[in-house]
Amino acid sequence: MDYVGSRFPDFGPPGPPGRELTSAKIVVAGGFGVGKSTFIRSIIESSDLLTMTALPPERAGLVTELVRIQFGRVWLDPGLALHLFVAPQWQDPRAGWNDVVRGAVGAVVLFDVMRPADSVDAMRYFEDHRIPYVLALNNVHASVRSDVKAIIHGMGIGRDVPVVNCDPRVRLSVRETLISLTEHAKLDRWRRRPGPDETTPLAPVC
Amino acid sequence: MSSAADAHRRRRRAQSPAEQTFADLMNGFSLDSGRKRTRTSAPVPEREATPVVPQEVGVPTFEPTVREPEDASIVRAYAWTGGRTRSNINLEIETLVSANDQSRQSAGILQAEHQHVVELCRSPRSVAEVAALMRLPLGVVKVLLGDMAERGLVDVHQTASAGGDTPDLGLMERVLSGLRRL
Repeated sequence: MDYVGSRFPDFGPPGPPGRELTSAKIVVAGGFGVGKSTFIRSIIESSDLLTMTALPPERAGLVTELVRIQFGRVWLDPGLALHLFVAPQWQDPRAGWNDVVRGAVGAVVLFDVMRPADSVDAMRYFEDHRIPYVLALNNVHASVRSDVKAIIHGMGIGRDVPVVNCDPRVRLSVRETLISLTEHAKLDRWRRRPGPDETTPLAPVC
Repeated sequence: MSSAADAHRRRRRAQSPAEQTFADLMNGFSLDSGRKRTRTSAPVPEREATPVVPQEVGVPTFEPTVREPEDASIVRAYAWTGGRTRSNINLEIETLVSANDQSRQSAGILQAEHQHVVELCRSPRSVAEVAALMRLPLGVVKVLLGDMAERGLVDVHQTASAGGDTPDLGLMERVLSGLRRL
């Protein structure tokens, strides 16, 4: 049988075999054409993303559409692989996201200032599920950034969400965005750690 | 991508029914592996030829969402997995699997899909990568890898966030260090 894998370039972990392996993932969300694939391509080792298919849940009867989920992988150290998944888009963006988002470090929402509504459903999903995320704006002026904040705060979302500048084509910019997200996620996790009685999380510091 | 998949499917159809693989049969998997689905115990009226298969709790239920020409395919699928229940192995889409010594020694007596997974996983691959590279739906791959893991044919490298929680602080710190070095 002819599988793609037999010819696929293999970027294995940079280290000797036998070490402990683990993996983490970050989700990249945002409207159509905003640069999610470009973002991931800028940071991964291989030249292009892989595509996985899945069937959306809760579908009775004949399946007429597969969900395609694109992703890439990069080794952060000899035992740690970081996966970056493009959040799938549906009519209802929450449908079928669970497998992709569950257990993620967090999400990067690429925000298209010309089409803010495209990001709103994703942002609401992350907030409902308490997934840490950052908003990434593509090289906009500071005044536009504050406008964006005002808009989304007016929608009742995006409070305390870091807003960062990001050019998805530039590796360093993508890296900085991922670092911002991970720092934000780490702080969020630290704030939610169990309190002295180890049953309830501590209240937010601010 | 579709033409290669079509050619793949045509090759499978040309094989005798006995050689059809589980991948042909289990095309009703959802992202959640059908765990949340309930299933009536009565057979569907128009498929009288379908044998009633006992439902075990925990066995991934799969209903072909495309009508199968052969009703016995469901029975074959159960036979393939041995009616096994899912073990404690938690396969997230990013979970890494790798071939081990046992699988290398078993080369030549493994089923076709198992053999391809072993070849693919000589270097560690995530569940998602296996699904993408073997061009199988995610749900099917989860069953395949879960089965192989239970038989000891692959090593599953559980993620620190197994169970759906956000990763712990240690893993996040490690991600941060790794990103800073990129």
